[in-house]
This record gives sequence, C-alpha cells and structure tokens, in this order.
Amino acid sequence: MSLLTLDAVCKSFGSTRIINDVSLDIEAGEKHAIIGPNGAGKSTLFHLISGRYNVSSGAIGFQGKSIHNLPPYEIARRGIARSFQVTNIFPRMSVFENIRCALLWSEGYRYSFWQLVGRQKKLNEKSFGILEQIGLSDKAQLPSGELAYAQQRALELGVAIASGAELIMLDEPVAGMSNSEAENAVALIRRITEGKTLIMVEHDMNIVFDIADRISVLVYGEIIATDTPENIRGNKRVQEAYLGEVPCDA
Amino acid sequence: MKKQFPIWLGFALALILLPQIFDTVLGISILNQMTIWIIFALSYNMLLGQGGMLSFGHAVYFGLGGFMSVHALNLIADEIIVFSITLIPLVGGAVGLLAAVFIGSFSTRKSGTVFAMISLGIGELIVASSLIFADFFGGEAGVTGDRTYGPPFFGIEFLQDAEVYYLGAFWLFVATLFMYLFTQTPAGRMANAVRDNPERAEFIGYSTRRVRFISFCAAGLFAGVAGGLFAINYEFITEENLNALTSGRVLLMAYIGGLGFFIGPIVGAVILTLMNSLLSNYSEMWMLYLGIMFLLTVLFLPRGFAGFIMMHQTAWQNRRLGTLILPYLITAIPASLFLAGFVGLVELSHKGDDTLSFFGLILGTESMLSWGILLTLTGIGALGVKLSGPRLDAAWVLANTVRSDNGGDAQ
Repeated sequence: MSLLTLDAVCKSFGSTRIINDVSLDIEAGEKHAIIGPNGAGKSTLFHLISGRYNVSSGAIGFQGKSIHNLPPYEIARRGIARSFQVTNIFPRMSVFENIRCALLWSEGYRYSFWQLVGRQKKLNEKSFGILEQIGLSDKAQLPSGELAYAQQRALELGVAIASGAELIMLDEPVAGMSNSEAENAVALIRRITEGKTLIMVEHDMNIVFDIADRISVLVYGEIIATDTPENIRGNKRVQEAYLGEVPCDA
Repeated sequence: MKKQFPIWLGFALALILLPQIFDTVLGISILNQMTIWIIFALSYNMLLGQGGMLSFGHAVYFGLGGFMSVHALNLIADEIIVFSITLIPLVGGAVGLLAAVFIGSFSTRKSGTVFAMISLGIGELIVASSLIFADFFGGEAGVTGDRTYGPPFFGIEFLQDAEVYYLGAFWLFVATLFMYLFTQTPAGRMANAVRDNPERAEFIGYSTRRVRFISFCAAGLFAGVAGGLFAINYEFITEENLNALTSGRVLLMAYIGGLGFFIGPIVGAVILTLMNSLLSNYSEMWMLYLGIMFLLTVLFLPRGFAGFIMMHQTAWQNRRLGTLILPYLITAIPASLFLAGFVGLVELSHKGDDTLSFFGLILGTESMLSWGILLTLTGIGALGVKLSGPRLDAAWVLANTVRSDNGGDAQ
C-alpha cells in the first residue's frame, strides 16, 4: 500500500483552477521530487497535502486514512512534517528552543503546564542530538533570527524533521544558497531523510536528479509525467513542456 | 531553576525588608499598591509579551475577581460563610479564571486585530452591565467590604496596612513564581512559539487557538488574584477598576517596563505606581508626564526599561561598563537642566494668576523674566545634550566592542 495517495485532487481559488485532477501515489521510503515551471502549482500542492489549504475536490490519504481538509496540526501529528520555501522559524527564540518546541508534541507533552521543559532530560538530549545532526550545536543559545541564511535553512530542516515524521516534505530547501552551501545542504538532506519518505520541490535539476528515485512533472496544475529520473530525461512531453524552456544548467 | 535560586531568595528578602525601610504610612501604602499592580502587570504580559495577544480589556478579569472578593468579604462579615481572608486572592483568581475560560473560548480564535477588538468590546460590555446589574456591581458607588472579620490568621486581624502588606507580599511571591514557572512549561514555551510564528506552530502539531486559550486562562487567573488583593487592600471597588482606563494602565506598565523580559512588567508597575502616588502630589500635570514618558519609551526604548538595562549586557561582558559612567553623567547634567526647564514651562503655563516656586525662585505667568529663565534653561539643556551626545555614542560603541585581549570568550 502506498504511504501517501492523492486521488483526483483539485484546487481552485475563485474561478482560477490551480491544481487540476492530480493523482499521485508515494511509496514508503521513496524519495520523490516534484518539478515544474514557476506558477505550476508545486507549492499549492504542498499546502494541500500539509493542510494549509483545503482541497476543492478529490481525496488525500496517508497511511490508509483520509487527511484532506484536516487542520495542519492534525496532519502534523499523524506524521507529515514540512519545511517552507521562505524560512519559517521562531525568530525570537533560541536555536535550541526552536528544535525543542518542534519536539514537544511528538514526545507527548501536548499542552502540559505542569512540567518544566528544563527538567525533561530525554527531551533536551534529543534536541541537542538534532542540533548536532544539522550542525548548529555551537549556535544553540543564539536567537534564531540572528543566524546566517544557510544556517536558518538548516534550522528550518531541523524543525521539520525533529518530530521524527514518516513523511518529510521540503519546499525548495536549497533555494538562494551558494554552490558550496547547497552541497552541504544536499548532504544534510540525505542524512536526515535516511529511511524516511521524502517529497521535495526543487528547481536545481542537478540536485533533483541526484536525490530523487522518482520525479513528477507538474505543468499548469496537472501532472504530465511521473517516472524515474532517466525516463523523465527522455520523455518528449516533459522536454517540450519544461526542460526545453529552462535549459539545464551544468 | 537551581541557578536562579539566589534571585528568588533575594526577591523574598526584598519583599520582607522593604516595609522596614519605607516604614511611613505613605511608604506602606505605596508598597501595597505595588504588590497588586506587579501581579496584574505580570499577568498582562502573559498575554502581550509571552503570547502576542494585545488586549484592551484585561481589567475585566482583575475587576470581576475584585468584585467577587469584596462580596466574599461581606459574606464573611455577615457570617454566612467561614473563610479566612488570607485566601481571598484565590476567590479572585477563581473568578478571573472562570471569566477567562468563558471569554477566551471565542476570543482566542485569532490573534492580532480581531483579538484586540474583541477584548475592547468585552471590556465595554462588562462596564455597561456594571451599571445595569447594580446589585452585584453597586452602580456608580461600587461595593464596600470589611477585611477585619472572619477567623484571625494566627492572631492577625489585618487592622493595619503593614499586615496587609505581608499578605500581599506572600501572594505576590507565589503568583510571580508560578507565572515564571508557567513560561518554562511546554504550554508556556509554545505560547512564545505561537507569538513568533503562528503558522509554523500549527505545522509542528499545535493548535494555535488552544495554546492562546491556555495562556489567556492563566492570565485571567492571575489578574483575578491581583483583583482579590485589591479588594483586601482598599476594601471597596467600583466600575472604574474594570474599565478601559485600568486596562490601559496595565498595558502602559507592561510596555514601559519591557514586554520581552519577565521582569519588565515588574519594573513598569513599580515606576508607574511611584509616579501615580508621588508625582500626583506635586503636579496636576502628572498624567501629561506619564504620556510623554510612554511616547518616549515607544520611540526610543522599544524594549522598555528592562530592555534598556539589558542593553548593557555586552558592555558588562566586555568588562567595559565602567567606561560608560562618566559619559552618562556628562550627558545627564544637561539632560536634567532640560527636564527642569521643560517641567517648569509646563507647570508655569497652567498657573494662571498663581506663582510657581521653582528651586527657590518665585515665577509668575505675567513676568517675561520668568519665561525667559525657563526657556534659557531648556535651551541650554537641549544644547548640552546635543553637544555631549556624540561622546556618549562613541563611548557606547567602544564599550560594546569586544576587547582584543580576551578575544571571543565574551559569551
């Protein structure tokens, strides 16, 4: 059984249809990339899966249960974590606090107001463990708003993966990074998504072809192809619609 | 928590010793007001500073807690219930909590403008109903009580203000401790997260509405405790204590003290209580000075007085705080001249036929010389501040530059 199933999902804003009849199956453990020209609806698709938007019609299932139109926190609790295209962290809290907050729900603290976070040994150790994974241990006490851009992106990833979610969704994780920063980020993504299922939106084709097991091409709100990287490269329709327009930079 | 033990011990000692130092009638009275306002301002900061909820109606919970507490005092006096008045703040707290549960159930759905407008509306609604339900609110006259009935507490009957102070100080300590501990719980940490970025908070599994609701209830509870103390201290309460003026006052306290720091509202409550009790004896214009101070805080000290103190942390770590003393003093002299001149101008301008006694000078509104002296003083002060400013700036920059000899160990 597939981990995530999209069945004839549509999304309209007013009379404008942004996502049109998208069906997609993501297998557990798969690394799936979604590519497509600007304005194709990639981010919208992410927002539909993660609950920021409700679907106009169609169904989304996760682990065999329907999740569309649930509030984001319900979907997050079921094991779907996501990052954002624009860095979306808690800027006035410390780097460590960002990670610790991201862990609270999955560690079972819920809305507790009778436990002190400072006393929760396992929680704090786990938070430090994640900081080490994303390479921000030495910045733990810094307000996260003061981090450099690439570090904020790393923290963004850390907040997304902290809960140990089964499905991780990354929206343009290396956008705006220099080559060397992007290289580090890709290595980091590989490390933290090991054994997990990944859906990623990315513009950099090298990274897409490097990480993904399967690629879906989204054009004007429709998926025109879903296949392995090799077959996508050779696909005529994809070349016409997308790869031909945006030359693959070396 | 262990590291902070000395701070809490110092706080407790200060609370015990303060009435020994300021042992006049006025001193004790001011301290009593401070216990009430500090709790109230801290509870307000649970909303605005910790949770990002701008409320214009926080006095509702303070006032309802206070009214119920005065009624409780009367029930005790009429021997309808037997209850120690030392526990009255719990009555206030329970009422504040109940009101917050009810009102918060719909007002915390959104933060920002929607929340602010609902809080304003609820505030007006309660004020309006206070004139309608005259049995409970006592109409314009309010309700009065007497704290000296009920079983004495180890022989103390709370006839004197000093006894009331220690009761207030006890509740202040307990309330402050619990409000601080709340910030260190998962619900308290998530309140900060929701304040910073509500969207992301939802994507890490938290309903922002539920997080706000919990903070809101806690804030209502402690506002009610402050209301209960108010009832014990003043033994009467009117509609004024739950209207927008009181809500505005607690907002000013939290803001002037500094929203971003736990101690901010404490500082703000102390400053405003002092201004309210002392300055009002000297000048009818004290509200104007308060307004100007608020304006200056918003413009130049957005992190409040606590933020101003914390600004010196880097200099302290660089061990260069001492280098700032002289430049501060040099700027402070013309600044005081300016302040004196300005205050003189304000005071003289509303004296009419009266005269103003100003540092031994008798100034009159008719005399050009009087105006001249004050204007000159203000002008010289302003000029002095302008001239000494760059020197202070330079000293500030230097003090905040890490010393080369101890390199990066400033942390």
